[in-house]
Amino acid sequence: MTKDKALEELFLAQKPHFTDNDRFMASLTSRLDAVEFIKQQQETTIRHYKMAIVVAFVVGIVSGAVTITYVLSTPTNVPLFTFSLQSTFLLWLAENSRIISATALSLLMTLGIISIISNVHDIMKMRVSY
Amino acid sequence: MTREVFIAHVEREQEALRGFLLALCCGNKGDADDLAQDALVKAYLSLAGYQDKGKFRSWLFKIAHNTFLNHKASLRCTESIDEARTLVSSTVADSEFEHQDLYLALRTLPPKERSAITLFYLSGYNIKEIAAITDTSEDAVKKQLSRGRDKLKEKLKN
Repeated sequence: MTKDKALEELFLAQKPHFTDNDRFMASLTSRLDAVEFIKQQQETTIRHYKMAIVVAFVVGIVSGAVTITYVLSTPTNVPLFTFSLQSTFLLWLAENSRIISATALSLLMTLGIISIISNVHDIMKMRVSY
Repeated sequence: MTREVFIAHVEREQEALRGFLLALCCGNKGDADDLAQDALVKAYLSLAGYQDKGKFRSWLFKIAHNTFLNHKASLRCTESIDEARTLVSSTVADSEFEHQDLYLALRTLPPKERSAITLFYLSGYNIKEIAAITDTSEDAVKKQLSRGRDKLKEKLKN
């Protein structure tokens, strides 16, 4: 495709010459400083998130292992916990202690998994926003 | 690429980049400089994806072009030629430029045609390079150039 001479000359004639290059570069440098600061802050936050994930993982594994070991090591016909007070509700709790412990453990593990997934998702979002 | 090298490259290319965006913004120097700064920050953040093949300017222009299109899309409104005349003539910086008619005519073009015309006539890129910068096919660029040129000539004649 050939160039239209008249248009080319018009564009070349209007080619601007900037007199504020120093101001422009100073403004850019301060923006880059701000970007660097935000990047550092985000990296610190990501480090904290990663630490939280490791802690959640370790706590989940240890507490899960301890509870499961405890549940498996006790006889099935003996309640896991009993209460010194006598009431219908507490008696019911003691009779269903295994199911209640298993449910509580499942809830804890679910919360741990949700927390880990949420943290990983946040980290991915931060990386993308870079 | 380190920050210092990036700044050195930018110092060399910033006039061309600002000139390109000034034409895309039809002489609105404030908008053009804001877009240039945004594009340069985006470029800095994407430095990991830049492969140094001596095409730093094309790479910058590509980012600037996308920044301009996003900016236009976010505005979602088109000003009439009369509004454009008021806007251009009221901008202090524009008094430096004698060729406001060209800016007014450019303003009537759709953003993609405006980009193709500016890259071809102002920045001196060929069709293949424009296709790479604007992420379109060479045929599409040829059509944009042809349509844009006809419209520009028509407007400038009036």
